Formats: sequence, structure tokens, C-alpha cells
Amino acid sequence: MENKSSPRFPLLLRVSRYIRPIVGVIIAIFLAWQLYSVIVVQHNFSADTWVRFGLSGLILGGMYALIAIGYTLVYGIMFMINFAHGEVMMLGAFGGYFMLELLRFIPMPTSANPNLNFLNAYPIVSIILAFTAGISVSALAGYLLEKIAYRPLRKAPRLILLITAIGASIFLQNLAMLLFGPTRKNVINPDILDRGAGWTWMVSGNPVLIPYTGVFSLVLSALLMIGLYLVVQRSKLGRAMRAVAQDKNTASLMGVDVDDVISKTFIISGVLAGAAGVMWDIHMGLVNHYIGFLPGIKAFTAAVMGGIGNIPGAMLGGMFLGIIESIGPAALGIDFQLKDVIAFSILVLVLIVRPSGILGEKLSEEKL
Amino acid sequence: MRTSPVRNGIQTGTIFGIIMVMMFLIGFTVIGAELIGKILGNPSISGMPDLIYFVIFMILVGVWCGVSAAKRPLYGPDSVKDAVLAGLSAGAICGLCAAVTGFIFGSVAANHIDVRAYLVSVSPESISMFTFNQNPTLGALALFGVMTLSSFLSALVAVEVRTSQKIRTMIENTSGSISETVHSQRISDLLNNKYARYGFYLIVAIALIILPRTWGGYWNYVFGTVGIYIILGLGLNIITGWAGQLVIGYVAFFAIGAYTFALLTAPVPHNLLWNFWIALALGIVVAGISGLLIGLPILNLRGDYLAIVTLGFSEIIRILLKSDLLTTFTGGPRGVHDVGGPTLFGSSFNTDVDFMYIIIIAVLVVSFLAYRLQNSHTGKAWVAINLDETVARATGINAFVSKLLALALSAAIAGLAGALFASRNQFTGPDDHQLMVAINVICLVIVGGIGNIPGIFLGAFALKGLPEILREIENYRMLVFGILLIVMMRLRPEGFLPAKRPVLEKFTADQRSSTDPASHPGNLETNTPPGKGK
Repeated sequence: MENKSSPRFPLLLRVSRYIRPIVGVIIAIFLAWQLYSVIVVQHNFSADTWVRFGLSGLILGGMYALIAIGYTLVYGIMFMINFAHGEVMMLGAFGGYFMLELLRFIPMPTSANPNLNFLNAYPIVSIILAFTAGISVSALAGYLLEKIAYRPLRKAPRLILLITAIGASIFLQNLAMLLFGPTRKNVINPDILDRGAGWTWMVSGNPVLIPYTGVFSLVLSALLMIGLYLVVQRSKLGRAMRAVAQDKNTASLMGVDVDDVISKTFIISGVLAGAAGVMWDIHMGLVNHYIGFLPGIKAFTAAVMGGIGNIPGAMLGGMFLGIIESIGPAALGIDFQLKDVIAFSILVLVLIVRPSGILGEKLSEEKL
Repeated sequence: MRTSPVRNGIQTGTIFGIIMVMMFLIGFTVIGAELIGKILGNPSISGMPDLIYFVIFMILVGVWCGVSAAKRPLYGPDSVKDAVLAGLSAGAICGLCAAVTGFIFGSVAANHIDVRAYLVSVSPESISMFTFNQNPTLGALALFGVMTLSSFLSALVAVEVRTSQKIRTMIENTSGSISETVHSQRISDLLNNKYARYGFYLIVAIALIILPRTWGGYWNYVFGTVGIYIILGLGLNIITGWAGQLVIGYVAFFAIGAYTFALLTAPVPHNLLWNFWIALALGIVVAGISGLLIGLPILNLRGDYLAIVTLGFSEIIRILLKSDLLTTFTGGPRGVHDVGGPTLFGSSFNTDVDFMYIIIIAVLVVSFLAYRLQNSHTGKAWVAINLDETVARATGINAFVSKLLALALSAAIAGLAGALFASRNQFTGPDDHQLMVAINVICLVIVGGIGNIPGIFLGAFALKGLPEILREIENYRMLVFGILLIVMMRLRPEGFLPAKRPVLEKFTADQRSSTDPASHPGNLETNTPPGKGK
């Protein structure tokens, strides 16, 4: 056996060694050629279209970044892909949706407007309530997920954890479908955050709409990311999280309650996912049981792209992926139906060509 | 260090209460009652099942709740009192949850508000059944009473059973004699007896020849599906069960096989109309080659990344098939129709009975292949890689080539299954190749017993055959799969029929050593059940 198997496929082995650089170069050349032909030769789109694409990508990227941080935090600490994270975001979106619906049914008649409801009478309070509801649902879901499904498997191999996470994802998705039905639900915003309204910006003579909802989501996600960064870098909990991510055993010797820190990590990632879910409600306006799956995988892509375990990497990766996804189909001259293919191709390519991501992984020794 | 029994009971009761409320919200209470009605031999032809079946369903939940609450504090000085107390408090909390839900929804229904705009499964009929056709207050009280009483009584009975010396010895004797029979020398002799084995094979062969002719089209359809999933499971088992690489996107190869076959035999879009067998062979080969090509760059990745990359591949393939980009080549979102059926010596061989034979033969061939592979050099190399890749490399196994071979073989088998599936349905489209197919296959492999060939048969029958028989639970199938995956991973990661060889050390080693130091995984001999070793 010793000497038989290695010379059995010598050619194959030699090929496989060079396959990554070759794939990388081929794809780079192809992309460059496509970009050149679309932007310079064909010149289908004017500047305002590109701005519009970039803007929607930025808004989408903010949400991806929030979800991606959840993946990265959990991966950094437990070395598991929390496959159900997208579903946590979906539950948060449902929480926000039901709160908005509830408030819409509370009448607040005034003399000027007898049909006024709570949602439009106190829009800011309503939005805060919606975010509170979504975030609570998601944080609770994350906490319970960890406690029920993952904690008993703390010492199990990673494949078992991954299969459990897939099981949890299927379970939550189908639970939501059976509870709320498979149809899409329209989210009705308060009037001040009307989805069609926004500032207009003139780019090369054409108006570009900058929607209020988009700006709102983007600002909020930026604030949340700054908040998260402060928590991780400055607070005691953040220090404990970083310690656990580096080395669980030593951290517990130093008096860190590892189980508690992992629980809180899941809660934090649930909070961010819930916020992303309510943003999805407000900006996209459609909720069903399936909305968590694709954003979840894309956010995972973003986390890997930035280097999993690396929080600034996840933020950058999310933004980057959002922009690529909305500019990509136009820039490469392919059908807009294929925008998901771009995200998945990036996932595959990043994992094949540079599994450690753009900024590099920050993982401890024990996991590799 | 005993927790108080009441606290214990409240914990259990809360869990069961949440389960109860969830079951009501997803409409499972009605389905449960219907199933019980069916089992008791009184299928309600139309409309709602009788109230009595719902009461039985509730009592069953209460019994389960009481038994699991009584289980925990059994070992102590006051075990009987504690256990009954736990059962009572669990039942009370569970009943309280149900009663509150019943009261709220009962009042809502009494005011003629339809909640189905938000909670689709909560129909007025289901609400009225949940409150025993009474008004909300009375219904809630009845719910509370039924749950508490059944839980309390079942806890009492459970404690009696556990503590009574007479019953205990009886149970021990029975289980002892059963295990004695199973592991007895006579049965293993019978299994090792050449003629007995041949006789068994003969009976199976005759059954397989006769049954498809006699049991009719519906069962041929059901068992054809089961057979195709057995093939898929055997294929996935090679790369996931033996070589230990989780491939979530397994459906990609299924799709490649199905589309290769369909495009070669269908009149639209290419009008090639090839012979069934040549197209089948080509479908297998193309799927295998695609496995090789996809595997080349990715098989060096670590486990969970590999899983996600394959998922990415399968989604890319599905979206491409569904898009307008390839409409002229693959038929686009509408799929490929009129896929060719099998022919034999120039004549058509295309009835459902004939196709059942083809599926049976394919299953037999693939399982024979799997058995031979399992005991071959390559199969052992895969298992070695699964157990510890570094050690396997140190013993001279070329891990990369082995894994590549495993993936190519898996992909080829999936291609066979895909081609058969397309040919049997005479259609293939992008929606036949959803991710859920792959997840079904992963489920059946894991549930049946990962790495074990009879386990895969069991898993396929359980997960694809049973839902066909129990039509009521069709909508709940994926939900149950999710729960099943979580529960299996927690309680029995090696599946219902575990592999005999130490294939699964990787899956079980850590857990076992953490819970039970006596059966340390270092000693592989203890994993071999008595009377079954080689």
C-alpha cells in the first residue's frame, strides 16, 4: 500500500497542484475581458444607472454585513457554521412584521384625521417597537437554538454540529411556513418611511432616487456595527469573547464562564440578525418563510470573503458582496436572473482560491 | 444535588406546553387526531375527525409529558413522591399553556374573527375542536383538567412500573430472553449456513419478481421512488459515510445525470432520441466526470467549507437550469418533456412494472458494488481517511486521490439515479433538483445508519416510503426531518442501524468518552455486537 497509491495517479496529482492558480488566472482574464466589453465597448448603461445599482448594493450590503457578523462571531468561538442563522433573521423579520401589523390595527383617531392609527400617529415609536420585537424574537431564537440544539454537542465533531445546524434551519423554515403560510406578506410601513419616497439626486442629467428606507437601513446598520465593535473591543464581555475564541480551556482557567459567553454570543448575533430582518421588512417590504435562506448563505459568503472569525472582515465582505451582487449582472453583461449565481460563484471561488479570505482568518490553532 | 421535583416538573411542563401550543398553531392537533382515528380503524372520510380522537391525542401528549417528568427524579429516597409531584406539576404547567391558548383562540373565534390571515393553520374548526366544542372558559378548564390528570396518572403508573420489583424482573426477563434469541448461537448459525442463506436469497428474488406485477401502479410508484432514493443514499454514503466528507450539494450530480439523459433522449430541444441504455450510461459517465472536475479544486478544503462549496455548486447549477440563459440548450424553467423510456431488444419496455424491474436491478447492482467497495482496499482507505486523515496519510494512503475517487463514484451513482428518475417521470425540470432532494438523502443516510448499507435501505423506506403511506403528514414532512436531524445527532449520531466497523468513531468518539468512560473508543472491539463479528 505504501508505495502503490502515490504513483498511481501522478499526472492527476501534478495537475491538481496547479489547478488553483490556473483557475484563478482564467477567471481573472475572463472577468477583465467581460468588464471591458460591457463598460467600454457596449456602453449600455449611463452613469445614473450605475449609481442606482451601487446604492441598492450598499443598502443590501449593510444587511448582509449584519448577518455576516453573526456567522463570524459564532464561527470564531465555536468553529461551526451556524447554518440556521438566516432563519434567525427570518424570524426577526416576522417579529417586526407582526408588530407593525399590530400597531396598524390600533386606532388613534384625531379630529383632523379620524382614520389615523398608531403606526402613523407615532411613527418613530412604532419603528422602535418593531425593531424591539424583531430583535427580541431573533435573540430568543438564537439563545434557544444554542441551548437546545448546540449546547449538548459542545464536544462533538464539527460535522455533527453542521448537520444539527442544517436540521435546525429546515425546522425553523418549515415551522414558519406552517405557522404563517407560504404566501408572501406585504409589510406596510409608516407613512414617513414610504418605500417610494426619497431624496432625488441628479446624476448626468437623470434623477436618482435615494429612498428614505435605504438611508435609514444603512445608517442603522452602520451604527449597529460601530456598537458591536465597541462591545467586542472595549467591554468585559467582548474581552471574554475574544479570550474564548482564542482558547476555550485557558479562558475557563482564567475564570471566564465559557458556556455563558457562548450563549451571549448567540444572543448578540441574534440581535444583529433581528435588526437586519426588520430592515428587510422596512426596505424590501416582503416577508415569507424563505427570505432567510438566500441572505443567510450570502452572508456566510461575505463572512468567508472577509476571513471568517474576523469582524471587520465580515463588515467589509458584506458591503462588498452587496455591491458586487447588484452591479455584477450589469457589469458582466449577464441576465439579472443570475445575480444569485454571482454570489454563489464568489462563495465557491473564494473558498477554492483563498479560503482564508481577504483580511485573513482570525482563528485559534485548535480548529485547523 | 437533587433539584426540587416541582422545579423539574415545571421545566418539563413548559417544554411540553410550548410543544402543545406549537402543535395547535401549525394545525397538527387536527392531523394527530386524524391519524389516531385512522390507526383505530375509523378513518373520517371527509371533514374533521371525531372529538374522541382528539381527546385521545391530548391524553397521549399528557401521558408522554407525565412519564418524562417522572423519569428524572426516580433515583432518590423519596422517589415515588417526587416523581408523582413532578408529573403533577408538569401536567399542570402544560395544561395551563394549552388552556391559555385555548381560551385566547376560543374567545377570538367566538367573536368571529378569522385569524387565518396571519396564522394559516388555525381554522375555526380546529379552534372549536381544541376547546372540545365548548365555550372558551369551559374548554380551557377541560384542557387543563385533561392534561393535568393524564400527566399525573401516567407519572403514577410510570413510578409503579419502575419501582415495583415484580414488574421490573418481568421486564428484565423478557428483554433478556429477546436479546438472547437475537444473539443466540442458533440464529447466527442459521445466518452463516450456506443453504439457509441461499434459500433466503431465493425467497427475496421471487418476491422481487412477483411483487411489482401484483401490487399495482401506486405501489410501484411509491417503491420506485424509494428505490431511487436508495440508490442516491448508497451513492452519498460513499463520500459522506465512508470517506467522511459531507456533500450538501449532492443534488447537483443528480441534476447532471437527469439532464444528460433527458437531453439525449427527448425530442425537444435537441431531438437526439438516443437509445435508453446508451443515454443511461452516458448520464452516469457525465455525472462521474463532473464529480471529478468539481472535486479536483475543492477536496482539499476542510470539512465544513467543503459542505458549503458543494451547496454553492448545486445552487449555481439549479439557477442556471432555471434561467433563460440556457433555454435553448436545456429547456429553461419549463424543463425537458417527453424524456425517453427504456427499450429492450428493439421493443418498448416502458410500463411501470418494467420500470420497477429496472429500478430493482439498479438497486441490486449498486448495493453489490457498495458491498464490494466496502471490503476492498479503496473502501478501507476511505474509512481510514474518515477516522484520521493524518494517520491515513502516514500509512501511505493518498488521501486526495482516494477522496476524489469517492466523489466521482458518488456522483456517477447519483447520475444513474437522476437518469432513472427523469426517465420514469418522462420529465425533468429545475424544480426536480431543489436542495431539499439532497437534504432528504442526507437525512435518510444519517437516520438509517451512516456508513451502513442495510441502514440506508431502512432510512429510505422510513423517510420516503412512510410519508407516502401516511398522506396526512405530507405537509409536516420537512418539519419532522429537521427535528429528526437534531434529535438523531444528539441521541444517536450513528443512526438506527449503526455500521459495524468503527467507521463512526469520528462521530461518536468525543461524546462517548465524555459521557461514559467505560466504553472508551480506543477499544474498537467493544463496538462489534456479539455474534456479528467476522
